Amino acid sequence: MSQTLDELGVAAVTGTLQGAVYALVALGIVLVYRASGVFNFAQAEFGTTGLFAAYTAKELWGWGYPSAFAFGIAAAVAMGLLTERLVIHPLRNAPRVTLLVATAGVALTAIGLQFWQFNETLVMTMPKIDDSFFLVPPFDAPVTVQQLITFGVLIAASVALALFFRSPSGLAIVAAQQEPTAAELVGISVRRVSMMTWAMAAVLGGLAGILAGPNTTFSAAFLSFGGGAALLPGFMAAVLAGMRSMPGAVAGGITVGIVEQMGTLTIVSENVPGARAAVLFVFLLAVLLVAPRGIYLGKAAVA
Amino acid sequence: MSTTEETATIPRATGAPTDAETTAVLAPVPAAATPEGRWRPGRAGWLARGAVWLAVAWLVLALPANQLSPITIGPADVDIASRAVIFAIGGLSLHVLLGWCGQISLGHQAFVGLGAFTSAYLVTDLGMSFWFAIAVAAGFGAVQATLLGMVSLRLTGLYFALVTLAYGAFAENTLFGITSLTGGEGGKPAARPPGFESPENYYYLCLAFLALVIWLDWRLTRTKGGRAMAALRENPRVASAYGINVRAYTLMAFAVSGIFAGIAGSLTAHHDEIIVKSSFDFRLALTFVLMTVVGGLRSRVGVVIGSAFFAILEEGAFVAMVEGLIGGLGFTPTFFESVIGLPAEFVGLVVGPILLLLTLTLYPGGIGQQIAPITRWLGGRRFDRHAGAVREVEVDDVRA
Repeated sequence: MSQTLDELGVAAVTGTLQGAVYALVALGIVLVYRASGVFNFAQAEFGTTGLFAAYTAKELWGWGYPSAFAFGIAAAVAMGLLTERLVIHPLRNAPRVTLLVATAGVALTAIGLQFWQFNETLVMTMPKIDDSFFLVPPFDAPVTVQQLITFGVLIAASVALALFFRSPSGLAIVAAQQEPTAAELVGISVRRVSMMTWAMAAVLGGLAGILAGPNTTFSAAFLSFGGGAALLPGFMAAVLAGMRSMPGAVAGGITVGIVEQMGTLTIVSENVPGARAAVLFVFLLAVLLVAPRGIYLGKAAVA
Repeated sequence: MSTTEETATIPRATGAPTDAETTAVLAPVPAAATPEGRWRPGRAGWLARGAVWLAVAWLVLALPANQLSPITIGPADVDIASRAVIFAIGGLSLHVLLGWCGQISLGHQAFVGLGAFTSAYLVTDLGMSFWFAIAVAAGFGAVQATLLGMVSLRLTGLYFALVTLAYGAFAENTLFGITSLTGGEGGKPAARPPGFESPENYYYLCLAFLALVIWLDWRLTRTKGGRAMAALRENPRVASAYGINVRAYTLMAFAVSGIFAGIAGSLTAHHDEIIVKSSFDFRLALTFVLMTVVGGLRSRVGVVIGSAFFAILEEGAFVAMVEGLIGGLGFTPTFFESVIGLPAEFVGLVVGPILLLLTLTLYPGGIGQQIAPITRWLGGRRFDRHAGAVREVEVDDVRA
């Protein structure tokens, strides 16, 4: 029994830290959904693209860590802007389902290009920013500095987003999301706002990818459904946030991280094959059955 | 653009919008019957069309089974042809959602996979007949899709995509992890039904099921339910204002899609004869989306052709054909590998998504739109190069 309790403690710590990655992905998903009502299935692939770019710069071209990191983010932003210009903008009047397929197509294209360009090195590793780790006292939960950095970045990003949405540019985005026609009439460029939204979502995705990549080895489609699959947890976190609330996305991401770790408990994983996927699926069903509009709705005014 | 409130108007009827009431005395003269509707091809025209029909029939019915054929096809290639037919059933299954209903499933590999393992389990472990097993597999598909649909329809929007995405991961890891059902790593044997053991006969069996699915799909769109689905695809809110039960008809579409997926799964199982769970991974679901969209939404022929194309691409036969052709022209036969640096097994992975994006942004009608002039011509109309251009059935977004 006490073993289960220990495992629960470890799962809670690990889950919270893993949840930080999901929260970053969820923030991007919510941002895009609010702007254009699109389920952005390319969100996690912004991260993988950023990770691959950072890896290329760091490991293949021998850049320093900061510049490689910046290059990765830049690659993610470039992909976000290209997506907006080449796919989302031309399809802005298409049905939602078409847009969903289009974002999935963007993700698939990126995955295909990753397979093509990196097919010789099937498994890649990116060094961590800081290799050390320590055990958190009560349950001896292992925590790496990389995970703490990720968590810190999540907090910084959330604060920055919250401040941004109170600034004039942020308010312009909110206005354009709520009523595009009226926003255009008062001189807000909806087109610029749309590009800005996608760029911000890409930054969030890129951060998630570059920070999560070093935790394990990675290959193409790492963040979508590879080793660090964060797409589905990210969407679940966004559902918990009612697809609209930014603070809700952060809370949702951490919740999903902890819930997912419940699948690693010995009593669960011994009895259910593929326990983590099963736990996530049951959790999603429960959320949709009990509180389909989300749990962490936050202040509606911010949305 | 249309994120917020949209007040919608009903799409205008296609007829001339002249005031019908004022001219009611004059009967609505043959204005509706366009001259094109009355046009009939001459004798030469019929002969030409008949010849093309014969060629198509030969291509579908005779060539893959080595009948009346100048070239001999090996059994492996006959199996690829069967695979193409099964993929066409799978494509039509997703097309019920994507094309008719405006929903999408990202967990189709789970529906197909569960159908396959159910069928294999019934035939191999319980000794049931294939015909019973395929019916059960179809039923299972309908039940799964309906249950997931009931959960996802608690919210308006495309939540079915999310639920099926999670369900796909769950099925892959948990359901297919049950060793007694899937036979573990070694896979589960699934014998072909008696009389259909040879590749050729199995091909005809698959073709028969494809014909059945196409017929069901065609009947579906011609019924009240089909028209209701078309209405709710364009705008669920307007549809429900017209008294259409959006929830019930969407669920019906999920169920039909599940039935088709179950049939495709059962046929896959007995096609491979030993099925392993790794053949039902997320890649399969994505391939289904690719082939349906590239094939062309709302075009049954397009979806079938698109599915067959992707099946051939997946099996590597397309690359082999292209490279054979290039080799025949005197170029290096390993074109993809050595010139572009793209190993043959990745061609589908790279080409498919790019085709998808091109289709969506440039030719929303997909292959169905490209071949529309030919299909219309075959149907006894004039050859019109511009036939099949997608008519915008857009619901006007009126703002105050």
